[in-house]
Amino acid sequence: MPESTYDPEAEEQLGRAFDRRLGARLMRAARPHRRIITGSMLLFPLIAVAELAQPWLLKVAIDDHILKSDWLGLTWVAGLYIGVLAILYALRTLEEYLMQLTGQRVIHDLRAAIFDHLLRLEARFFDRNPVGRLMTRVLHDVEAVSEALTSGLFAVVADVITLTAVVAVMLWIDWRLALVTFSIVPILVLVAVYFRLNARDAYREVRRRLARLNGFLQESLQGMPVIQLFVRERHERERFGRLNTDYRRALFGSMRWEASLYATVEALGSIALALLIWYGSERIVAESLTFGGLVAFIQYTNRFFLPIRDLGAKYTVMQWAMASSERIFGLLDRAPAIVSPPAPGPRPARSGSPAVELDAVWFAYDADDWVLRDCSFSVAPGERVAIVGATGEGKTTCARVLNRSYDVRQGRVLVDGVDVRDWELASLRRHVGIIFQDSVLFAGTVEENLRLGADGAVSPLELARALETARAGFVADLPKGLGELLGERGANVSHGQRQLLAIARALVYNPAVLILDEAMSSVDPESEALIRQAMTGLLAGRTSITIAHRLSTVHAADRILVLHRGQVQEEGTHADLLRRGGLYARLYELQTGAAPA
Amino acid sequence: MKRAIDALQTDPASAPVGHYVALIALFAIVNGVARLGSRFAITGGCQRIESDLRDDLYAALQTFPPRFYAAHSTGDLMARATSDITAVRSLLGFGTISLVSTVFAFVGVLAAMLAVDPWLTLWALAPYPVLVILARRFNLKVNERAQAAQDQLSVLSERVQEYLSGMAVVRAYTLEPRARADFGRANGEYLRLSLALARTEAGFSPLMGLIAGIGTLVVLWAGGRAVVDSRLSLGALVAFNGYLAYLTWPTIALGWTLSIVRRGLTSMTRIQEIVVAGSMSTALTEGGLREARPGSDTPVLPVATGRGGSAASDPATTNSPAAPQIRFSHLTFAYGDRAPALRDVSFEVGPGETVAVVGPTGSGKSTLGLLLARLWEPPVGTLFVDGRDVTEIPLASLRAGLGYVPQDGFLFSRSIAENIALGRDDGGAAQVRAAAGVAGIAEEVERFPAGFDAVVGERGLTLSGGQRQRVTLARALTGAPPALVLDDAFASVDAAKEEEILINLRRVVSGRTVLLMTHRLRAACTADRIVVLDAGRVVETGSHEELLRRGGLYARLWRIQQLEEEIARA
Repeated sequence: MPESTYDPEAEEQLGRAFDRRLGARLMRAARPHRRIITGSMLLFPLIAVAELAQPWLLKVAIDDHILKSDWLGLTWVAGLYIGVLAILYALRTLEEYLMQLTGQRVIHDLRAAIFDHLLRLEARFFDRNPVGRLMTRVLHDVEAVSEALTSGLFAVVADVITLTAVVAVMLWIDWRLALVTFSIVPILVLVAVYFRLNARDAYREVRRRLARLNGFLQESLQGMPVIQLFVRERHERERFGRLNTDYRRALFGSMRWEASLYATVEALGSIALALLIWYGSERIVAESLTFGGLVAFIQYTNRFFLPIRDLGAKYTVMQWAMASSERIFGLLDRAPAIVSPPAPGPRPARSGSPAVELDAVWFAYDADDWVLRDCSFSVAPGERVAIVGATGEGKTTCARVLNRSYDVRQGRVLVDGVDVRDWELASLRRHVGIIFQDSVLFAGTVEENLRLGADGAVSPLELARALETARAGFVADLPKGLGELLGERGANVSHGQRQLLAIARALVYNPAVLILDEAMSSVDPESEALIRQAMTGLLAGRTSITIAHRLSTVHAADRILVLHRGQVQEEGTHADLLRRGGLYARLYELQTGAAPA
Repeated sequence: MKRAIDALQTDPASAPVGHYVALIALFAIVNGVARLGSRFAITGGCQRIESDLRDDLYAALQTFPPRFYAAHSTGDLMARATSDITAVRSLLGFGTISLVSTVFAFVGVLAAMLAVDPWLTLWALAPYPVLVILARRFNLKVNERAQAAQDQLSVLSERVQEYLSGMAVVRAYTLEPRARADFGRANGEYLRLSLALARTEAGFSPLMGLIAGIGTLVVLWAGGRAVVDSRLSLGALVAFNGYLAYLTWPTIALGWTLSIVRRGLTSMTRIQEIVVAGSMSTALTEGGLREARPGSDTPVLPVATGRGGSAASDPATTNSPAAPQIRFSHLTFAYGDRAPALRDVSFEVGPGETVAVVGPTGSGKSTLGLLLARLWEPPVGTLFVDGRDVTEIPLASLRAGLGYVPQDGFLFSRSIAENIALGRDDGGAAQVRAAAGVAGIAEEVERFPAGFDAVVGERGLTLSGGQRQRVTLARALTGAPPALVLDDAFASVDAAKEEEILINLRRVVSGRTVLLMTHRLRAACTADRIVVLDAGRVVETGSHEELLRRGGLYARLWRIQQLEEEIARA
């Protein structure tokens, strides 16, 4: 499990075996594949016929040929038997493949749908749902859904067809004998239901205890230093041992029911067989049944019991599947809160309106824990503004409301004089680019990472220029240059180099308004100098907002806003603010003082 | 069954069919009971082995130092403790049952068949070698393709993880189309590979039916001829068919069983790696050469005598054992092959003295505490408690004498009382309450509906960072250890609360040896002595006033903190 934060017990809830609403949704999910499904449904009767032909041929062979010493005829029947076998094999292979095909396609489509949906959900959703939980939806829950289709729908239809055919043939051969066999069915069903219900409860207990055991283990792994510091090893070991024993007991309990069920069903089957022979012999004596008929009958009986025995197992599978589908559809039903307006208004490039403006904005991540309180400021086109302030004063939040990662509670955010809520989302984010300096690089080549999100063709020349401006000359020294593969999170370039690549990427992306969320990262002094040069190149002649954690980088800004308690408290140039001797001056002293002497 | 049918055939009227019928039913019941018994015995045994294995693994995990946890992700270790152990259980349980029953089935059925008719047996078994080879080939192919599909699933999962954890970037750069395409490619590739697997498997599973069918066919044809020639009775023919059916499943299952055995063995190796490494690390830390001397099991740090005493004893008044002296002597230490975190550090904390270690982030403060508690092993001859090298002191007695408050307030998802009493064996309610009082958390806890029984964690109470820190402080105080190590214990506590805790603490810690690592100078300024660390070196030592007068790093840090307070008040 990649994530520690999801609740294992909540993931183990059993659903109802069938829910009409969910069933309908599942059907809808399967609809694009209805041709394959219909195709395989058509195979079922054929398979049933081919399966049931085998005992029948056996009966014919015994009654008409073996007992009549007709060897030639027997060879003919044997040939026919081979034919039936070959056909059955082909049909079954096809059936199995079609079933997998449907299942896998449904999985594929659902995964794509869920991932696509996740991409459209807003930041707040991701704040509340750990990545690990979402990955479970995309990767594992979908498999349960496909299982519901194959083990549930398909298998039930196939079983019903087979059962009907078997019952019909048995009644046709000798209805009295058939009724004797069926007499055991009510007992069988009762036993199956009784054991299965108990097994299900036991199994649920197993899951619960396993979740508890694993939860304890995971916590121990994370808190091992604490356990060691307080010399709690023996104590914790005993605790673990108890949970472990609990789990083993539960496991044994569930196994007991399961094994008993199978043993009982098998014993019942044998008893049915004994009944058959007993009653069948009377019928043979009465000359109303042939030997071959009895032998065939015995084989039919076996095929009759098989689906009934597996009924319980399928029930459990359906329960899991329903619980999973419930979670998946719950996720898919969650409408994205931040979307483009139905009809994005034409963007009037109102001349004279500021490039970016916050107008009396109130914002809180939770309840009434206000981060921005009545915050207002604007940035003129071409202006370079820096936002400074102590940590937790809402600097980064300003950037987040500007590209509509979050919507404000009150007030307005305007870009080019138009409320961001009236912008088409993608074009807003193309227009206002947030650049995280300590940025995520994705698995792929250097070039792919530079071209991220940039629309249209970027000429090699432009790429080269961006790299040059970003001082990312090291790319040329990589063994494969731009074609060099970057590992997950850009693992094979240094921290400083990653920042340079992120700056180059921003240059390629080339948004009209650039917001630079400057990370407080510790890089070696040499790279820091390089990065500073690169940033100067990046900001030259561009509307920009730098969210500065280090005041040393804001001297060059046209205007500095000091954010405090969710509002702009001071603003002006570096020199103005220093002269004023207010908050900024103190922040400045703080930081220059903190730098090593 | 054979007898019954033969009897029917020869003399339908007087056949003692009822007799045979009773026998069949009896055998069915005996078979069922025997099978159930063996199932219970084998599975029960396997589950016990599994359970023991998990206990061993857990015990091994407890012996590893933080270095081990830095090198192994929690996910990897969890995988070993869950899926690997399950694989071993399958090996022992299903693997054993299946292997044993396959052998028995073959031996038993062959004997029965040979007894009925040797020639027919030969005929019936003729297709088997071919089928076994065929099944093997299929099996290899299925395994190969299953592996490919599994690998692609990991790729897919990496993609999802990558994009979902980088959602902020995805949004800001409008990367959705790219993410969709990228995911779509991996998803499509997985579909392709799993369908390739499905094609092979689709041919594989109906093989079972085919084998059963061919067996029946051969018996029907060759056996039928024997019946026609009167070399065989009809009952024998039918019985033969039944026997053959018994062979089908074990034959098919053989390939499957072998793959389970293979997987189980691999997993067993992975588990053994940890368990063996665990016993080695125990040998190193507990039983090493330097500790092999007699008498080393007597605790060096005197253990608090008041621990077993009256439950009402207040940690402040508990009769603490003599406070130890701690001495760092030319200590240079590096984590692995990184640059040294501490360089030539020497200073001493006298018995009952409070020494504060201050310095910027990354100056090596926390390392001092980690080495003292031997969570990381210090070099020999650099760190002494009461004049004795810590590497010679048994871990348990060393740690039992230390009240340690680590930097991250890790709490277990148990009740607050349990978390606090984690400190010592008999943390009675009164002790817990008293410790919580000193740590300045008691009143807040009592305001929770469940009080000290409130459960901390995801499914319980969410504590703030400051509350967590104070609970960990209370945890360190229970049992009145003679030495306290506070590693940035007040970082998430506001200034007023800190003041309160400090007043309480000063009362409690009098007479104890305290090593206080902090970046909050307010907490440090009342210490007997302050050691200033910078980049792993001791740059200044002295009392608060002395250091301020000197105007060095400490004085500068002091000024910075005053500014921060001013800004916060602004």
